[in-house]
Amino acid sequence: MDLERDLRRARNVDGGYGSVAGSSSEAEPTAMAAVALSDEDAVSWLLDAQRLDGSFGMQVGSVVADHTAVACLALPADDPRERALDHVERTVGANDPAGPGSPPYGWPWTDGAHGWIEPTSWGMLALLAGRPSSTSRINDGLAVLRTQECVGGGWNYGTRVGFGVVQSPFLQTTAIGTRAARDVDAGLTARGLEILERRWRDEAEGLLSISSAATVIGLLGGPSANAVRAAAESAYRSTELPDTIALCWTLFALEGRDPAAGVR
Amino acid sequence: MNHQHRGPVVSRRTVLRGAGAVAAFGAAGVVGLRLRRATPPEPWDHAVFAPPGPAQVAILRAPSYDADLEGLLLDGLSVIGADVRGASVLLKPNMVEFDPGAAINTDPRLVAAAATALRRMGARRVVVGEAPGHRRDTGYVVRASGLRDALASVDAPFVDMNVAAASPVRTNSAYTRFGEIWLPQVVREADIIISMPKMKTHHWAAVTLSLKNCFGCLPGRVYGWPKNALHWQGIEPSILDIAGVVRPNYAIVDGITAMEGNGPIDGTAKHVGLVIVGDDPVATDATTATVMGFDPRRVPYITEAGRFLGQADLDRIAQRGEDVVGAVSPFAPAPGFDGVAAAY
Repeated sequence: MDLERDLRRARNVDGGYGSVAGSSSEAEPTAMAAVALSDEDAVSWLLDAQRLDGSFGMQVGSVVADHTAVACLALPADDPRERALDHVERTVGANDPAGPGSPPYGWPWTDGAHGWIEPTSWGMLALLAGRPSSTSRINDGLAVLRTQECVGGGWNYGTRVGFGVVQSPFLQTTAIGTRAARDVDAGLTARGLEILERRWRDEAEGLLSISSAATVIGLLGGPSANAVRAAAESAYRSTELPDTIALCWTLFALEGRDPAAGVR
Repeated sequence: MNHQHRGPVVSRRTVLRGAGAVAAFGAAGVVGLRLRRATPPEPWDHAVFAPPGPAQVAILRAPSYDADLEGLLLDGLSVIGADVRGASVLLKPNMVEFDPGAAINTDPRLVAAAATALRRMGARRVVVGEAPGHRRDTGYVVRASGLRDALASVDAPFVDMNVAAASPVRTNSAYTRFGEIWLPQVVREADIIISMPKMKTHHWAAVTLSLKNCFGCLPGRVYGWPKNALHWQGIEPSILDIAGVVRPNYAIVDGITAMEGNGPIDGTAKHVGLVIVGDDPVATDATTATVMGFDPRRVPYITEAGRFLGQADLDRIAQRGEDVVGAVSPFAPAPGFDGVAAAY
């Protein structure tokens, strides 16, 4: 289908995927594409890109972007995945510039920074799929979802109240947070689904937002599943040059697949 | 990038001494949520930054977004002597987040007017780029805010800098420990960069204007949503290091409807009716802070930027257009920043 063709445009000769067509291969889009397309070459790229400490990501100067959790979902159950899971298990967000601060920690976007909703959700999903025995870290992630849940349900990037102002949820982060909560907290999941059902029309112009919402509403059997899937397809048809991550979510949405299910 | 250079060319001896100072300062590791004054040594590369010279800023009256913004910008850019002939220009608006009814973003009508004005002034190409900091879905921000339609109406392309091809660039100063930052090709390849911030208060930095707006050149796929790695290194040090790499040539500040109080997201809309255009981002920010009723000397990162990035001394900024004193419209400061208010 066109969608798969568009997604493969970001595939490089080294087997990895860039964030958009024409950009160099990176761990996060490669892992997502490996799952979305069941692309064994992408998995091979990941295996070659794994660092000695088991992690995946990018280092730019002193900043280390960590995409290990997403990569775990694309790796076969073998030693590289175990080393990646080790890394996920020991990676924590920091709540204080001087040190780790107080729990819950969650997972950060970059080493040594605060935990946020999306990376925390991926951290939980990686452990739930590959190392469910890691209950303390899974519960730590769950605690982040609980404490940062927006008033009324759902999530934005990770701030419930900022400078005394109640912050609103976003569709995309509510989708990934709801998926992470699905198997561990029925209440969070129900409120997340309610927010997705209530807000998807408001953010249907964004391909990543509507596709991730469609994926999760579909997985949870929400009443708007068909309508929001159609909205995702419509957004795809009208979006110029979508990026790899958004295309992967669109494929998950239209095929009714779970991004946390790994490579088929 | 073809950056403007002001002031005398520095000697090779000065270059080497400055480079050594950068290395030493970087090794010391400067981290902190507040800017640490660093004298001596000076934490910037003297081979890159000439001492700031005189600057020009024009304060333009624009009662609403329905005004002739293209004509206004043509006049303003002309009066400050902007030269974009044959250049590839990157416009960088502030689209950090979108909230219907809130004055968070640079208004798309002003961005579109800038694109057409610059083309009329002879720009070879005008591209608009942004890497929204709070939302991963740039497509949503660009469409919902109206920027997509506004740019389509003037045939100006948009680049999502959160996902665009990028590569590492060494910083030219060492206020943080970054050493390198990841910068989109569209930034590196632009001949001229124009920072187009919204005139806003900021609850961590006092004001967010053309220097702070450079945060939005860094991709979230490296720095996250939000770009917490920048905050963790200290917002003010990060502003200095990032602006020192991006180095906007000009600034166009959207002060038609601005934001006061708890900015940059949850503040209150304030009608000011001004567009401020400058040939130096530091000078433009210092002037704009003055217009907001603040003393730019009390905004530490503007003062520090005035040592190497541009001109912060109001006595050395030639004011064009509206008189700056007459244009002052005091803003409610962000929480905790009562001390930045100017004493009149």
